[in-house]
Amino acid sequence: MNLASMLGFPFLACVLLSLILGYLGLHVLKREVIFIDIAVAQMAALGALAGHLFLGVPGDSVHALACGMSVTLVAAIFFAVARRKVVQLPIEAIIGITYAISAGGALFMIGKGTGGHTHVQDMLSGALLWVKGPELLWTGIAFAVVGACFGLFRKPFQRISDGYAEAVAAGMPVIGWDFLFYALCGIVITLAVRLAGVVVVFCFLIIPATVSAMFSARWGIRMMITWLVGIIGAGAGLLFAQWLDLSAGACVALALGLVLAASATGTLFRKTI
Amino acid sequence: MNVTVNFFVMQITLIAVVLVLHTYLGLHIIRRGIIFSDLVLDQLAAFGVMVGIGWGIRYGTPLSYVLALGATLIGCALLAVLRPRNRLIPQEAVIGILYGMAMVASLLLADKMREGGASLNATLVGSMLWVSWPLVWVTIGIYAALGLLHALCRGPMLRLTEDPSAWPRRAAWDFLFFVTQGIITILIVPVAGVLLAYGFLMIPAAIGTMFSRRWVPALLIGWGTGFVACVLGVITSYRMDSPYGPTLMLAMGAFFVLALVVSTWLACRRSTVPAGLAAGSVGAETGGLR
Repeated sequence: MNLASMLGFPFLACVLLSLILGYLGLHVLKREVIFIDIAVAQMAALGALAGHLFLGVPGDSVHALACGMSVTLVAAIFFAVARRKVVQLPIEAIIGITYAISAGGALFMIGKGTGGHTHVQDMLSGALLWVKGPELLWTGIAFAVVGACFGLFRKPFQRISDGYAEAVAAGMPVIGWDFLFYALCGIVITLAVRLAGVVVVFCFLIIPATVSAMFSARWGIRMMITWLVGIIGAGAGLLFAQWLDLSAGACVALALGLVLAASATGTLFRKTI
Repeated sequence: MNVTVNFFVMQITLIAVVLVLHTYLGLHIIRRGIIFSDLVLDQLAAFGVMVGIGWGIRYGTPLSYVLALGATLIGCALLAVLRPRNRLIPQEAVIGILYGMAMVASLLLADKMREGGASLNATLVGSMLWVSWPLVWVTIGIYAALGLLHALCRGPMLRLTEDPSAWPRRAAWDFLFFVTQGIITILIVPVAGVLLAYGFLMIPAAIGTMFSRRWVPALLIGWGTGFVACVLGVITSYRMDSPYGPTLMLAMGAFFVLALVVSTWLACRRSTVPAGLAAGSVGAETGGLR
């Protein structure tokens, strides 16, 4: 099997992920809700698990996905209301605790089931190398729809991300917009985690957006940089994984980390000369 | 002593001791906005343990603890030194990237190990059910020493958290802070698991922060509610025969949700300003942390 047919689908998956998560990452960084990915992935896993235990839904079915997404919708309502109403705690702390409680809930339901550790490792690192054409197609269509929503509502989303207090003072219905934002976020992250695992999705979300912040403060330029960084990191990581026979997801994440380290060094060097 | 009574006394003593320092450090962490720093240290400790397993060093042996400490110290140094000046990059993003990289390193290692997945899982769940009195005494000793250190250094530590802008040798103090956090992480993670350790650190502190901006009342409220929640969790777990760590976590979670509702209701009642301006004014009144 040649390289193109072996790495074609995984690379396409990475391109899809970097396009949607790159844009989402800019918002996530501005809103300082860095760990939203981990919390939402955990909520989706909790929903799928509850569906399996209480409704008998098979673990890998569309119904399980629907159960997971329903729980992320509840989380979206919670985050949107908490951001506006709970002023005593930063939203990132609420996200962190939500993650811990939902992980506790999932472990409570699993008890000490056998084979749990394989599941843990799979959920973390994903199975990027084994992504199939139809799965990629459906995910691509879903991402396109969500991307269109992001495009359509970009102005209110960006205004809230740029300054929450100013948006509230201007009389914007922030709870409604935040709910829509976190709900779209939930859909993207749940689908992306199924494709590539929590760690890779997390790296696609945060690293390209951080690199872009080193070079520009403007949305348009930052978006281009995040996409470029994501695609370069994905290509390099997949080749690296193939060359050294390592896990594809972990190598892509590592390559993104190396791009960030190189950019940070470059920025420091540029400032000193 | 009756076996059941002995079990309860041991568990509750351990929880009472652990919660004091965890709540105090948690208050610092919430005020500094470095919510996930603990997960970075947890993950690095787990990575150190896994490197040890790769070299044939068994989980829980002194050498395994030394390796975990080594990996954690590297993380502490990175957390203290890597402080972006660019206002577009929050400190939490650096923490996130460090966490991602620590996770990647662990996954690559687990990939190459025969029992990699199992050791990854062991670090998540812990084995709090199997604590013994010697472990409780060692934990009390180390926690007391670290508590004393924090009591002695409380001036600079509190100032660094309240106003970090004008403080000399900030990286050194930050390093000391993260080292104490790292040491308790290494001690508690093999016992409680990553999740429960994170819960001990964040949930009581978050409850305390919701009701008071001042340090001592927040510490007392956090410790008190955390302790009551954990005791109820231990009893529920025993009576219902449910998994130990997750039951404690859910008990603390229930108290957190209750506290969230009550404190928000109190903040809304105190606020007399129209809804459009409420965020800023209630924040100022209650010392909001945005």
